[in-house]
Amino acid sequence: MPSMDAISRNLMLDSLRDYAKKHIPYDLIRDKDQANEFPAAILKDMYDHSILGVHLLLVPEEHGGVSGGTYDIYRICELLAHIDLGIATSVFATFLGTDPLNVGGTEDQKKKWLQRIAKENLMVAYAATEPDAGSDLINLRTRAEHVLKNGQLAGYRITGNKQWISNGGVADLYTVLAMASGGPCWFLVERDMEGFSPGKHEDKHGIRLSNTASLALDGVYVPKENLIGGVEGQGLLQAQAVFGYTRVMVAAFGLGAGWEAVEQAVRYSQQRIQAGGPLSDKQGYMHKLIVPHAVKLEAARAYIEDVANRLDSGEHGLQTEGAIAKYSASEAGNRAADDAIQAFGGYGYTRDFPVEKIKRDIKITCIYEGTSEVLEMTIYRGRWQEHLKTRGRYYLDIADRMDALHDRNPNTGARAAGLALRTLAAVMEECRLQKLTRHQAVTFKLGRLISVCELAYLFAEASAKEKYSESVRFDTQAWQAMARIFARDAAVQLATEGPALVLGAVENAASMASAADMDQVRAVQKGMMEDMDLVAAKLKQTFKAR
Amino acid sequence: MINVSPKCIGCNKCVPVCPFAAIQLIDKKAVINEACTLCGACVQVCPVQAIEISREETATRDLGGYKGVWVFVELVEDRAVGGAAKEGGQPAHAKQGRKIRPVTFELLSIGRKLADQLGEELCAVLLTDKNYGYEKDLGAYGADKVYLVENPELYEYNTDIFSTAIVALTHKHKPSIMLYGATIMGRDLAPRVASSLYTGLTADCTALAIKDGQLLQSRPAFGGNIMADILSPRSRPQMSTVRPNVMKLSDPIYGKIAVTVREDIKIDKGLRRVKVLERKLEKADAGVKLDEARVIVSGGRGMKTKERFKHLEELCRLLGGVVGASRGAVDMGLKDKTHQVGQSGTTVSPKLYLSFGISGAVQHIVGMKASDVIVAVNNDPDAPIFNVAKYGIVGDAHEIAPKLIEALKKRKP
Amino acid sequence: MHIAVCVKQVPDSTEVKINPETGTLIRAGVPSIINPYDHFALQTAMELKAANGFRVTVVSMGPPQARSVVQMGLALGADDGVLLSDMAFAGSDTWSTSYALAKAMKKIGKVDIILAGMQAIDGDTAQTGPGIAQQLGIPQVSFCVKVDVDGRKLIVRRLIDGGHEIVETRAPALLTMIMPKDYVSKYPSFPAVHSSLKKPCHTWSAADIGAEAQYLGLKGSPTQVAKIYPPPQREKAAMSGGSSQEAVEKILEILARENFVE
Repeated sequence: MPSMDAISRNLMLDSLRDYAKKHIPYDLIRDKDQANEFPAAILKDMYDHSILGVHLLLVPEEHGGVSGGTYDIYRICELLAHIDLGIATSVFATFLGTDPLNVGGTEDQKKKWLQRIAKENLMVAYAATEPDAGSDLINLRTRAEHVLKNGQLAGYRITGNKQWISNGGVADLYTVLAMASGGPCWFLVERDMEGFSPGKHEDKHGIRLSNTASLALDGVYVPKENLIGGVEGQGLLQAQAVFGYTRVMVAAFGLGAGWEAVEQAVRYSQQRIQAGGPLSDKQGYMHKLIVPHAVKLEAARAYIEDVANRLDSGEHGLQTEGAIAKYSASEAGNRAADDAIQAFGGYGYTRDFPVEKIKRDIKITCIYEGTSEVLEMTIYRGRWQEHLKTRGRYYLDIADRMDALHDRNPNTGARAAGLALRTLAAVMEECRLQKLTRHQAVTFKLGRLISVCELAYLFAEASAKEKYSESVRFDTQAWQAMARIFARDAAVQLATEGPALVLGAVENAASMASAADMDQVRAVQKGMMEDMDLVAAKLKQTFKAR
Repeated sequence: MINVSPKCIGCNKCVPVCPFAAIQLIDKKAVINEACTLCGACVQVCPVQAIEISREETATRDLGGYKGVWVFVELVEDRAVGGAAKEGGQPAHAKQGRKIRPVTFELLSIGRKLADQLGEELCAVLLTDKNYGYEKDLGAYGADKVYLVENPELYEYNTDIFSTAIVALTHKHKPSIMLYGATIMGRDLAPRVASSLYTGLTADCTALAIKDGQLLQSRPAFGGNIMADILSPRSRPQMSTVRPNVMKLSDPIYGKIAVTVREDIKIDKGLRRVKVLERKLEKADAGVKLDEARVIVSGGRGMKTKERFKHLEELCRLLGGVVGASRGAVDMGLKDKTHQVGQSGTTVSPKLYLSFGISGAVQHIVGMKASDVIVAVNNDPDAPIFNVAKYGIVGDAHEIAPKLIEALKKRKP
Repeated sequence: MHIAVCVKQVPDSTEVKINPETGTLIRAGVPSIINPYDHFALQTAMELKAANGFRVTVVSMGPPQARSVVQMGLALGADDGVLLSDMAFAGSDTWSTSYALAKAMKKIGKVDIILAGMQAIDGDTAQTGPGIAQQLGIPQVSFCVKVDVDGRKLIVRRLIDGGHEIVETRAPALLTMIMPKDYVSKYPSFPAVHSSLKKPCHTWSAADIGAEAQYLGLKGSPTQVAKIYPPPQREKAAMSGGSSQEAVEKILEILARENFVE
């Protein structure tokens, strides 16, 4: 769906912000986190279409929703993550649970169920994962057996167990993945159906406000109309179809929660006086604990927005791009939160301050919706295809684009990004020649290096734009400095880790000696210190102590 | 008119300084939209002087004949009306007349200085049902004349009646300056008069001065984050409102009586289009009369909790003061809004302002910087409040407050 | 009856920062919001609409991005919206702004009640509302906290210095609104925002409302900004620190020296 106009989107963001300001004070969140309690009243308000109605973003207008596009949903998810990742997860679970319907449902099913979801403010859960089938969903054991009436198929009896289901104990409607004789299928199961019992609310490390529960299905009968799409065996395809876009949502979580941690640290550092001045004046502190994370998060933002805009303009799939966005943002956010605790020192280690909770919460973003390891593989597989299809030109062509960009605008880090891309192309080619992708470790590492390069070049391009997207809180000077910092680091990382990866697995690889143009990689480092200082100053200006 | 010449190099220095977000960089050139107020902030920062503001002088009205600094006299409406009147406690003003609100005397004090600089007269404008010898006090604070309109219809304030009368007086006598208190009454009346006269009105001035024969009116904007100097170059009278407790009260010279000039202005009863059905006055609450307090003990976010904030009430009891609160504290729920000091609260000028855990955001400072002695306690040595305070104590406000209470109790016999 | 509500888009002045080096305002990154007093005026209008079935038009004068506050008015329940947008309005002070808004009211036609926020948090002047009333020749009631309508009678509760009043006037009239203590602002739900897109929203230029150039912009404004500058820096306080006990002793010393205690 195309995204809505900026004014409508921002009015919705304002309403959500206002709701949080009035009804979700931090004390409440802290208490619920401590008590491991799902904030039912708050979620009820969020789904209540006379108060907010967040779930309506996922429902098309013709069924009573507000037809939110990917960009709109990314912005809302980012804001929810700033507020609390547990609440965000609960909302996201409804989005996820509604997806199989949106993607695979028949017109009648969509009409019936989407309208009910919209009108009755239904909370939905996405029940795929099982005790023995997480990343490895093909192993699912939940069975859906045919039930015949008068020789005709009347419905299915579903038996099995689901694990780690968000909204598991509180949803009204569940989309359950089960194996029928024709293959995996999604079934719509209502909470009060006989044989269906949610387990207790899990005691988790983080996102404790999100209700997570196991589900036991003991011969739950559903009529055949509840098989999404009406055809068996479509389940995994239906799930994969939306990955590009559900991954963007979780990327938004990493971005929002990561930035919340960084903002808190920046504000705190201006108040905390040690050794004669505020911590925010100490270059070592800022350059180590704050600036790099701001940079990586903004690089992730540039990437997320590119994927979101492409999906909104009609492109389909983009699973690899979604994977890069989710992987990068969640890992960046996780590290940002960790250093945020460090930035707060002893105070950060207590529950009084929000950063230790953000760290506990944000870890899940590296696990759910595709673990970082699965995503590294996914990223590698997607881009390996491109490398092969273009006979190794894929990243070289982008590097050429970077050099052209650098000629037009030398301030975006495009040259450094280009260097990283050329090294990546050389490394991937050598992997192909020497069949190094037979080592799984190589594929994981390639996924990681590919992500860094893709963020570097998209950040360079985004920072070159005349007008930045409404989500960017920094001016051209600051954002371009961040793009330069990210690109420099990317060039260094590729120049060292790329060849090292290859050389560690082979007898010899002569091409690695020139895989990275070390003279250029060294040359582009110039200006790093100044840029880091500039970003530190801009961060202090933008996030003043309260 | 504002114009960006081809000299613009697209350096983007002007975009972020515009207070009204009126500048965008399009195709590497600054483009200014209609939100522009011609304040000139961008002109100041442009490194190549590519931005020009030309202030066209339209046909000027003849301003030469306008002379005289006028001050509107505000009488305190202290008479309950309707149901509230039955509750008793009617003022004794039948014998002594309604009191003059103190801000009037503050305006006369600054008005006197302005009149002296211009070499013009200072006149008070008094609309009342009965004159109770007000010219004595008005004269003591510097008025040369009192333009008196005495009419039974003027027993209480009414927008249309008062504005019509003042407009009539203005047309007759052509003052060059008119000052009003920025009270509820003043802020209702002055804009109506100014609109009718198509003349300039500047609200909440914190400073007034004469520059090249014109009234230079200074006031805070954007919640007090910037100061603006305003002029009304082409219209008369130049009108300003000033909040109570902002201008310094001069020492009255009793015996200096203003000359009363009776003005026979027709007041049409039909002008009373708004009728007062009920008026209820708040009892003088010993607790909350911030704007008249001699001592204020004020708390900010640094007090952290309601319980700790209560210490400040105890301090008030010991020091004979009134509790104040910053906007941050009010927003946190530590104290209710009636105690808020600042731009969106009350402006105060006590002899002692003792603050605990207030950082001194500009919108707060604007409301208390007229205090005589400011003692600030805050654990941030760079807190802006230390820039207006006379004494600064770096420390934990919510620990110091209770200890100070103990120490004060020990001193009292 | 037909109610028109005047709303303004303003920078969130609590977030506005000063660049300490140049002394200029840093506006970048400061969000634009609906003027809180106007928000209250809108809510008041919606309550009257809900109780009496009145028609509500939301009006704003501003650059194209101010459409956001008009749409917010529609999302909160207004029937239609008007954005007055024209380069000719640039530089308008409160007189010129009232002039333009009064012209717009005339074009909208047969407006019975005009509601406006008591002041805008950027200018803080509280002048535009009364200016509109004066130019339309209708009665004004300022500092209003509550309105009730009985036929063409308006019963209004308002603040006065030292208390409050209940006053009566007749439509057409203009009221400027100030929030009471128990006020809670309402924000539109997502579906309300979505359906606001379908409501009529007009953009009018100076020519559309018959506003004459001589009364608009800097040319037409009787007041002019001569200069903008940061608030003056003062000399810093005499500072002391140390333990809480030492701080208390210091405070007592100061209070004694300045004669606030024996």
